[in-house]
Amino acid sequence: MAVKGIKTTDRHILNLANIVGDARSIIYHKEDLIAYDCDGFTLHRHLPKAVVFPNNTEDVAALVKYCSDHQLPFLARGAGTGLSGGAIPLNGEVIISLVKMKKLLSVDFENRRAVVQPGFVNLKLTNSISDKGYYYAPDPSSQYCCTIGGNVAENAGGAHCLKYGVTTNHILGLEVVLPNGEIIEIGANGIPDEPGYDLLGLLTGSEGTLGIVTKITVRILKNPESKKTVLAYFDKVEDGSQAVSDIVSAGIVPAALEMMDKTAIEGVEAAAFPVGHPKDIEAVLLIEVDGIEAGLDEQINQILDVCKNRNVREVRAAKDEAERGRWWANRKTGFGAMGAISPDYLVQDGVIPRSKLPEVLNKINKISEESGLRIANIFHAGDGNLHPLVLFDARIPGQSAKALEAGSACLQACADVGGTITGEHGVGIEKREEMRFVFTDEEIIAQTDIREVFNPDNLLNAGKLFPMPGRCVEIKRDLKEKETAITS
Amino acid sequence: MMSLLEAELKKDPACTTSLSNYLAKDHPDESKWADCVHCGMCLESCPTYEITGQEQHSPRGRVHLIKSVAEGRLSLNEQFMDPVFACLDCRACTTACPADVEVGGLIEEARGQIRQAMPLTGVKGAVSKVFLQGLFPHQNRLNKLGSLLRFYQKSGMQKVVRKSKLINIMPQHLVDMEAIMPEVKEPVRKKYKDVNVIKSKGETKREVAFLTGCVMDVMFSDINEASINVLTRNGNDVTIPKNQTCCGALHVHAGDRDMGRKLAKQNIEAFKDSDKVIVNAAGCGCALKEYPELFRDDPEWHEKAEEFSAKVEDISKHLYDTGYEIPKAELKTRITYHDACHLAHGQGIRQEPRDLLLNIPGVEMVHMPNSDRCCGSAGIYNITNPEMASAVLDNKMQNVPEDVEMISMGNPGCMLQMAMGVQKHGRTQKIVHTVQLLDWAYQKEDGKGER
Repeated sequence: MAVKGIKTTDRHILNLANIVGDARSIIYHKEDLIAYDCDGFTLHRHLPKAVVFPNNTEDVAALVKYCSDHQLPFLARGAGTGLSGGAIPLNGEVIISLVKMKKLLSVDFENRRAVVQPGFVNLKLTNSISDKGYYYAPDPSSQYCCTIGGNVAENAGGAHCLKYGVTTNHILGLEVVLPNGEIIEIGANGIPDEPGYDLLGLLTGSEGTLGIVTKITVRILKNPESKKTVLAYFDKVEDGSQAVSDIVSAGIVPAALEMMDKTAIEGVEAAAFPVGHPKDIEAVLLIEVDGIEAGLDEQINQILDVCKNRNVREVRAAKDEAERGRWWANRKTGFGAMGAISPDYLVQDGVIPRSKLPEVLNKINKISEESGLRIANIFHAGDGNLHPLVLFDARIPGQSAKALEAGSACLQACADVGGTITGEHGVGIEKREEMRFVFTDEEIIAQTDIREVFNPDNLLNAGKLFPMPGRCVEIKRDLKEKETAITS
Repeated sequence: MMSLLEAELKKDPACTTSLSNYLAKDHPDESKWADCVHCGMCLESCPTYEITGQEQHSPRGRVHLIKSVAEGRLSLNEQFMDPVFACLDCRACTTACPADVEVGGLIEEARGQIRQAMPLTGVKGAVSKVFLQGLFPHQNRLNKLGSLLRFYQKSGMQKVVRKSKLINIMPQHLVDMEAIMPEVKEPVRKKYKDVNVIKSKGETKREVAFLTGCVMDVMFSDINEASINVLTRNGNDVTIPKNQTCCGALHVHAGDRDMGRKLAKQNIEAFKDSDKVIVNAAGCGCALKEYPELFRDDPEWHEKAEEFSAKVEDISKHLYDTGYEIPKAELKTRITYHDACHLAHGQGIRQEPRDLLLNIPGVEMVHMPNSDRCCGSAGIYNITNPEMASAVLDNKMQNVPEDVEMISMGNPGCMLQMAMGVQKHGRTQKIVHTVQLLDWAYQKEDGKGER
């Protein structure tokens, strides 16, 4: 039986439509598919074969089984806000969009956990439980619209992960459809740290290459009794960076410790949520502490003192919740705000030891000068997670390539000081080659071997996370030759 | 996908414009989509994305498609039309967007291209012609229709039609609309036909011109009456310039930008001698403020339009900014407030109407979650896309608190749609315009109306 309203002779599309059972749950016209040719990373584009919208786990399993049986490449997509291209259909994949699976299935306040479907939007979880005094801690800046399924795939972080940890620290259980269509449950009882291998840890952050998550049990936390937020302006980046180190050294664990540089400030102030940061300062710090009301004022005073010792121009605490909200809106919309000062941007995601902050920022400045492209810096300074934003105009021939080069150079700078190439945005397409900055060929192969256990045909989200497969095969062959040479 | 040749051509900047599939003048403005970095912060703000879950029905998806036509990757065809015309033009994405991308403007420009390339035919074409060209711009025809409606309601015919189930031959969404049609009274433009200036009740502090609106004055003349009362009570002399006409918002929304320009020119001329143009319909106010957009290619009129749009103000903001008398009588009612899209997202007016309402003694306001979510009225969207409009309305009604007597707002289109929602969902709330409540309080204070 063909699904009513489907106008195509492509048998795969007809069969996929049959699985979801409704013409509105599949799109396959080029005009509609173009909306899916990229995600938040726009430098690579490719049209998918189709986008299907399953309603439940069984639909997902049937779709995956069909793709697997017919050797059709496929991948999962949530809100498509990822910044490394993890949801881009490089190989003309069938996109399995999970946005219709967007229910909050249950909340267990007593045991502090909630079960959600993968398409459930991050912030909606906090909004649904805040009246009872609870929240979901991982707060990527895109939390207004990104899905928890996507957060699991990318092991998303956020401003408050300095104190509370990233997504993987909040996942208690997963239901996963494996690339052959089999449905498995990991951590079905939602008990933290079950014996045996940490499969939850492996799946979280696997960037959609090992399976498709269809149900997620997450930890929820009690709201801190109180929160206090401080804003500090510095004339020199070095002073701001030193203040960051000093705050942590003083034994304070802020809930968030964010920094923006001059170019970033120009962007957020030109965009939709300006708060009146001075234009001539080099760095602004946004520092938040939370916890039991009693100790907070003392911590705030300590922070104010640290900043003053580091030549702060102006430092003050938010006078009320509204002001705190404005500061955070200004910071959290920082990436998108770059649209106000540049037609395109490329965001990088390096991690460095905190003490290397001034050194790496200087290096990034040099990269900016050499490439002739402006680079804004927005970062989770507390955990050394840098987000250099390379500003460019894709309409000018050659600029996209230059931006990619500059971005890569920023990551090299991070790797050079003992850091790494991604803190929370994932590798995706964007940083595949840069994986070589931090892993040897053997280490990369060890990881693709793990992928092969789950995804032997590499039909699921191929071409992501690791350097190009062609090269990997070459490396493997080379290695084998070497091995044979040694043994003989 | 593009051919190799096209890909080669694209590398040459001189060729990029020639690849565009927007062939008519007044095409979508590249600088508007250049601001979009595809971050997706708009997704959750979009009512049609909420319902479909599909990105071609999301703001960034639409912007992406509009851009793709300009890049020559897509042609201007039926399939492209669907996402562009399914947009409510509610502007919620503009509020959500970190980079201030003018999605609404892009959508309107793209619709203009579609309409020029593919003029409407069939039933939709006929409906659009009758309403947009044949009716709204013609005050006397609207008045006649108003008289007819008045006759329909007063003569008992309405009762007969409803009783006899004659109404069953109408499509469901039109039946729903008939059921909530407000009682039609005499338009203020007729009433004050021979009055040059409606004098302030006390000392005159300023003179303002009043836009009566086209449908507004026929269907909701009592709101216009209330607006005039509230203005004159607060030191405003009110004029109603004779040559004013329909604001053209609906035409621009539908892609008929030429008609939009024609009406804009007439209004700009009609209000030439006024310093302030007061509007009580959010949709109209927003359209008037955006007149310059229509004249991007016409420097002379662009300047005039800039000058004009700077004079336009919503009535709630005008009262809030210039000061108004806080009523002394108590209304004793629980209300909630719905942010009309073209007031909140279109004009950034949220606090002012709430302030007006909260300052009325005895008015208790219950918070409506997602109060700035579109109700699905969206001009004539509820006539052209009834199914989507109805789904959007259902979502809206879920957020309307149960325990209130009235829902207040600042836009006639929303009022009709919300009235339909109240009826459809078996609710009891009265739908009122913000200035009506204020006017009632004044009337009560004066011992006139008892509510």
